[in-house]
Amino acid sequence: MIKKLTSLIFLLSATCAWAVNSPINGLVQANCSIYTTTPGEYGNPSPWKLSTTAADGGAEAIIRVDIAAADYYRTKFTHPNSFSSSPTLTDGVAWTGSTTVSSHSVSGMSAYEAAKVVVSNTTTYNMTLAGSTWFKVASTASYGSADNTALPAGNYTAMIVAECIAK
Amino acid sequence: MLLGFQAQAHEMTPAYPKFELSYIDGVSVTKMSLFNRRSEISYFEIGVFTKDWKKIPFASTSKLIKVRYTKRYPFEVYVRNEDLDRVQYICTISKILKGEEQISQIASRICSKVN
Repeated sequence: MIKKLTSLIFLLSATCAWAVNSPINGLVQANCSIYTTTPGEYGNPSPWKLSTTAADGGAEAIIRVDIAAADYYRTKFTHPNSFSSSPTLTDGVAWTGSTTVSSHSVSGMSAYEAAKVVVSNTTTYNMTLAGSTWFKVASTASYGSADNTALPAGNYTAMIVAECIAK
Repeated sequence: MLLGFQAQAHEMTPAYPKFELSYIDGVSVTKMSLFNRRSEISYFEIGVFTKDWKKIPFASTSKLIKVRYTKRYPFEVYVRNEDLDRVQYICTISKILKGEEQISQIASRICSKVN
């Protein structure tokens, strides 16, 4: 009787031992993400100049681009050639700027800088590898035809455009 | 003159969308999805372009879409069949409202390519 009861208890406990699979699904698609890591900041080293250079009291914009699948995208960075908001300006502004690769997650990405194409104020990179790349965008605005015209007081904003375009 | 803050992202899928016939005669549709991880941005503008970046007329729920931070926004793009051969890129670009204090100096644009 005890033997039968023990077997019955064993069978019952065995049938109760269920495991339920609960999967977490994920899908990695070929995509590009643009991260605005540091938006950048103009310093005002002289009355007629705004500059993102650290020595001028500014900060260059850092933009991270994540590519999920190799060779699907090109990235383009356009540094400013006008203010998107500023006080009223009565004289011209001379703009300079540049985009460079500042860091990368894959060693092969070091070749991006040499292969970049610069046309006017736009720099294009061919993103041949999957991973993360950090780009540094610098901008300088010099006011007036001679370096003696002070920028009017107020807030100045200039826009960088970061693009990811499927190839 | 502006401030720094944590990393923010804008992404759009698929990279290579395919158009299919819609329920409207003479119009094709494709499905896209935008994910907004830019806390300072709430609006994105949709655009459809030729390979020479000329605008192509299209319809969607709205051309200017509001996508809250960390939300995914699925949307459809409708294009006339007669324009379909010219469609090369579907893009979304981050927008800042006029009059809004601009926290961000970076506009992000992502373009998918229609083969």
